[in-house]
Amino acid sequence: MRPRQALTYAFLLLYLAITGGPFLWLALTSLKPSREIFLNPFGLPESPTLVNYQTAWEVGHFGIYFKNSFLLTVLTVLATLLLSAPAAYALAKFCFRGGTAVSFFFLSGLMIPIQLAVVPLFFQMKWLGLLNSRSGLFLVYLATSLPFAIFLLVGFFKGLPDSLREAAILDGANEWQAFWKVLFPLARPGLATVAIITFLGVWNEYLVAFTLLSGEGAEAVRTLPLGLANLTLVSQFRTDFGSIFSGILIVVIPTLVAYVSLEKSLTQGLTAGSGK
Amino acid sequence: MAGVILSGVHKIYQGTEPLPRKWWEFWKPSGKPSEVHVVKGADLEIKDGEFLVLVGPSGCGKSTTLRMVAGLEEVTDGEIRIGEKVVNDVSPKDRDIAMVFQSYALYPHMTVAENMSFGLKLRKYPVEDIEARVKEAAALLDIGHLLERRPKELSGGQRQRVAMGRAIVRRPQVFLMDEPLSNLDAKLRVQMRAELQRLHHKLGVTTIYVTHDQTEAMTLGDRIVIMHQGHIQQCDSPLMLYEQPANLFVAGFIGSPGMNFLEADAKDGLAHHPLFTMELPVKARNLTGKITLGIRPQHLLMGSLEEGEVKLPATLEVVEPLGSENFFFCKLDEGAGQVTVRTDAATKRKVGDAILLRIRPDHVHIFDSNGEAVCHAKGEATAE
Repeated sequence: MRPRQALTYAFLLLYLAITGGPFLWLALTSLKPSREIFLNPFGLPESPTLVNYQTAWEVGHFGIYFKNSFLLTVLTVLATLLLSAPAAYALAKFCFRGGTAVSFFFLSGLMIPIQLAVVPLFFQMKWLGLLNSRSGLFLVYLATSLPFAIFLLVGFFKGLPDSLREAAILDGANEWQAFWKVLFPLARPGLATVAIITFLGVWNEYLVAFTLLSGEGAEAVRTLPLGLANLTLVSQFRTDFGSIFSGILIVVIPTLVAYVSLEKSLTQGLTAGSGK
Repeated sequence: MAGVILSGVHKIYQGTEPLPRKWWEFWKPSGKPSEVHVVKGADLEIKDGEFLVLVGPSGCGKSTTLRMVAGLEEVTDGEIRIGEKVVNDVSPKDRDIAMVFQSYALYPHMTVAENMSFGLKLRKYPVEDIEARVKEAAALLDIGHLLERRPKELSGGQRQRVAMGRAIVRRPQVFLMDEPLSNLDAKLRVQMRAELQRLHHKLGVTTIYVTHDQTEAMTLGDRIVIMHQGHIQQCDSPLMLYEQPANLFVAGFIGSPGMNFLEADAKDGLAHHPLFTMELPVKARNLTGKITLGIRPQHLLMGSLEEGEVKLPATLEVVEPLGSENFFFCKLDEGAGQVTVRTDAATKRKVGDAILLRIRPDHVHIFDSNGEAVCHAKGEATAE
């Protein structure tokens, strides 16, 4: 190994220790009973136990929250992909009257931070009777995810050669078939990026969920980030680090799974081989 | 199979012409509507089974013409017929045509077999029929062993064959090819040119082929259409274009190296050039004023002057030895311009040598002041 290469590896190992170390410590600590966490904070668990996960799942209602978060996230990601891809395709590939205005309309959605809109949003949802419901939260998540998804995918579809669409049309496809059978599959890296970003945004979202699901009877529709906060409230007179750490892991693991499973699509250049 | 007829076809693009304004003058309009006339009244009749090549420099309108036949561009004015049917308002998929794109446009996420069968599946052909057609086309193009590969696993030449295969399986009435060989290296291009000729001979499908490469045009086309600035300059067989170019543009475009042009004044049946005076042929005797004399590089001769020939003193500036022949780029005396001379490989000269070139009058093409041909070399036919 050449010195330069060794230095690179050393740097990467150090970086791994800085980023992965705390995560490993979190995972190991979540397997320790509360007493052991203070007695032996940095050692391996003497007798690994899943009791903290059980506490989080049952006392912190993580079972219900997990189901709510999972449903909301999956539906939002799917709806975002299905709505943003055709919109982006149309904006990228066709010239039509009002196209620029529509683009700017979507772009304007990126300019307003959701934090600024929380109060009017609360009253709007109340007026619509959508407070304390999963469908209300779903609509807000979808509306806030679409502008960025469309913005990103427009760039992506612009990069796909026009000749592919034309070849499909000459092969006998109509515009929808050309889109779904040829261009949509080729936009996979872009779609994967949108999926991951939307997933992260919705899975970890706290403020809007807290605002719209704060009423009585909203317990059954709350999401994981609210559950994690709830876990600290349940144990307000003592800090149950074991449950908190296991709760954090329950929240983090699906994100890692989503990223690892989509990572290949993210990095793959799918149009390789289309042209010369 | 069917012929294709273009009658008075025009293509005008609506655009915006930018207007000058300072950066702070945001209240002023940034542009005004403008029109770009890309194809100007194209009239063509392509016979059933003919191989017609559209050739011309970039931006001449050849690809737009092809795309209008394909239905990928709307026709602004005029009429296009495929067979008996006017197709102006017929969608591309219903025109019964297949197109090979410059970039091949293979679907990257599909295998070669899927690429070739995509059009047939969309048209709901029976599975057995699709398989049989794909196998037949693959055998014809020698790509049977590549059917399960994806385009990224193929070389440039193989991709080109797959693109051809995708067009062939459909058994269309007309093939449209938009510079299909321009992405290949020189050697492969020569090989594929021969392959295209073989395929056309075997299939006999009407083909419209666009290229900017005149060698491709000359070797492939039954007839060649030369386009320039949206106008069809001439449509004829390759040999006729070479021997009897209709105007200065065609004369300069066909032939490599291009024809040499010498400006002269016509008066009393004589052409007066600063370096010589030449008697004009009978058909050009009536010309007066500025004319252009066109001489192919191989017709600028070296050696001792023979009777009836005129001399052209020059200085050799650049030598291009190609092995089988040499090209001499010479500067004429008295700043009368530059010419290219084609000689055999045995003729050796050094850069800076004074050379006495000679011209036989019957080797000269004569163009009038508008650039239209009046008289061709060897005193043959007169352009219309």
